[in-house]
Amino acid sequence: MNLSEVTERISRKLEANGAQPDRQKIESRLHRLVEEFGVNTAEAERTVTADLAREYNLTGVGSAGNTATELRPISEIAPGDWVTIEGKIVALTPALSPSIAQNGIIADSSAAIRFVTWTRANAPAMEYGHWYRIESAVVDEYKGTPNLKIHSGTTISRMEKDAPLLPSITPVAELKPGVGSVRAKVIQDWEVSHERMLQTGLLGDETGTIKFVIWKEDAKEKLDLDAVYNIFYATVDEYNGRLSLSLNTAMYISDEGDIEVGRHETEIQGALVHVAPGSGLIKRCPVEGCNRTLSRQNYCPVHEIQPNFRYDLRLKAVLDDGVRAHNVLMQREIVEKLAGITLEEAIGIAETNPLGMDEIFYRIRNAALGRYYTCSGSEFGGRLLVNSCTPVTFKPEELAALLNRAGGEAA
Amino acid sequence: MKPQSAFEREPARRVFASELRETRYQFKEGEDEKSPTYVLLPSGIRSNRIFIVGTLTEKQRKGDQNIFYNGRVVDPTGTFFIMAGSYQPEAMQQLARIEPPAFVAVVGKPNLYTTPDGTCLVSVRVESISVVDRDTRDLWVLDTARETLDRLEAFGTTDDSKKAQEEYGTQPDVYKKIVYDALAQVQL
Repeated sequence: MNLSEVTERISRKLEANGAQPDRQKIESRLHRLVEEFGVNTAEAERTVTADLAREYNLTGVGSAGNTATELRPISEIAPGDWVTIEGKIVALTPALSPSIAQNGIIADSSAAIRFVTWTRANAPAMEYGHWYRIESAVVDEYKGTPNLKIHSGTTISRMEKDAPLLPSITPVAELKPGVGSVRAKVIQDWEVSHERMLQTGLLGDETGTIKFVIWKEDAKEKLDLDAVYNIFYATVDEYNGRLSLSLNTAMYISDEGDIEVGRHETEIQGALVHVAPGSGLIKRCPVEGCNRTLSRQNYCPVHEIQPNFRYDLRLKAVLDDGVRAHNVLMQREIVEKLAGITLEEAIGIAETNPLGMDEIFYRIRNAALGRYYTCSGSEFGGRLLVNSCTPVTFKPEELAALLNRAGGEAA
Repeated sequence: MKPQSAFEREPARRVFASELRETRYQFKEGEDEKSPTYVLLPSGIRSNRIFIVGTLTEKQRKGDQNIFYNGRVVDPTGTFFIMAGSYQPEAMQQLARIEPPAFVAVVGKPNLYTTPDGTCLVSVRVESISVVDRDTRDLWVLDTARETLDRLEAFGTTDDSKKAQEEYGTQPDVYKKIVYDALAQVQL
């Protein structure tokens, strides 16, 4: 068999998978195997094809399947696939590393996916708002979300298409890591915890709430509190089992109307069986955005000694309903009401009493321990952040109902 | 289960004194030295911690080197024996401050003891004790009645209650009567 025929066949096979092999290189390798090492041609062809496929980072070359060239909707692709898709660039984000040429989000009518173009791929830069056909890209997983990788074997061609694309809105409760579009209301605007952060807070729709972040970047605008927005192509990240929404990839348009936000309030009734250390009067770090609890020596784990701390009241406790023990955390307003002591009074006592801050711990413990409360709030990391806490009151009708249940006639 | 919530605090079961007094069976889950020890309540649930509210009628300081306090807490059905030693200094000092009679709420661990003459006693090792009011006591009677009835109604359907049937031959009606009598003492 003529080696140039084999060379041609190998290079065509690789090209079909998106690589641009050097024919001379193929031929010289074949020569070496066949003439120097006496390998038969068929085996040499197999070896060279496999070697080059590995070098170009291609899989499935030589095997029968040629699925990589078949056009598929974005919603159907999964990590590990080699795919060809057609989509519109709906977001471009600054590359975080010199080895990345471009990253952003590409969408078709079925879904959207994050993509990254490696600098090594030497691929043409794609423009925001245009449609592209991307052949032989590979899907993998990055930080738990599917990600489309454009490598040197990927072919990108710009399309003359301009179909309007309306992303499908996902209910907040059904968001998954990746890319998501929501219609939601800004229900909380938190203090930013980082200088690169423009805004953070809580978004919600009828089904639930989710934390959002906007990082500082040109032309990024803040959301208005209590306003409703259509947010297209935000990035859904997962951290410690909780989702958050990053709006830097997203386009957001304020929307008319209002949303009744489903807050997923959890209500627990039970006895307060334990008051944990760290309850009572505490000192907090005054550095903006820090707010950490200081040690007794005014030491902040990040900002070191902070003599100009501010005082706060809180209660970390266990509310036990007899079946499960729930951790609860109450903030100042709730503690003031529950213990019948204001922050100012607590500070006054702590500064004059020989027991100092311990005195406040004991007062709050003695007021709350062993009593029945109904607490409602939102659950966060296995702890109930209490929004309201009311003492349980005795209801004669409950007594009557229980007497009936215990079987009145038996007595 | 998420890794950060792998530790789950044992709930404090609600139990009347006359049921706890009947408790005889104690067991350990797992081989580890730190594995929790449970008592099996006759109404059919394991318990490693209980929550009781009643009247502290008596307290005594005992011991010379190893000081401890014991006391009696009375509910509508009988008496709980509580103790707090120097291994629970906070609880011991809390108990030391309280002058009987007083309504108290106690969180503690039930323990079985056998006296030299062979009688089995149940005492509660106090984790925390605080003074409460009559309303809290009444709420506790309701709460304990509800929890006890829940257990009795599920009796025979759970593993723990099948075990209780074997160990104690529990007759749910007897405990229903106890619950009824306890409720009947709550004044409207």
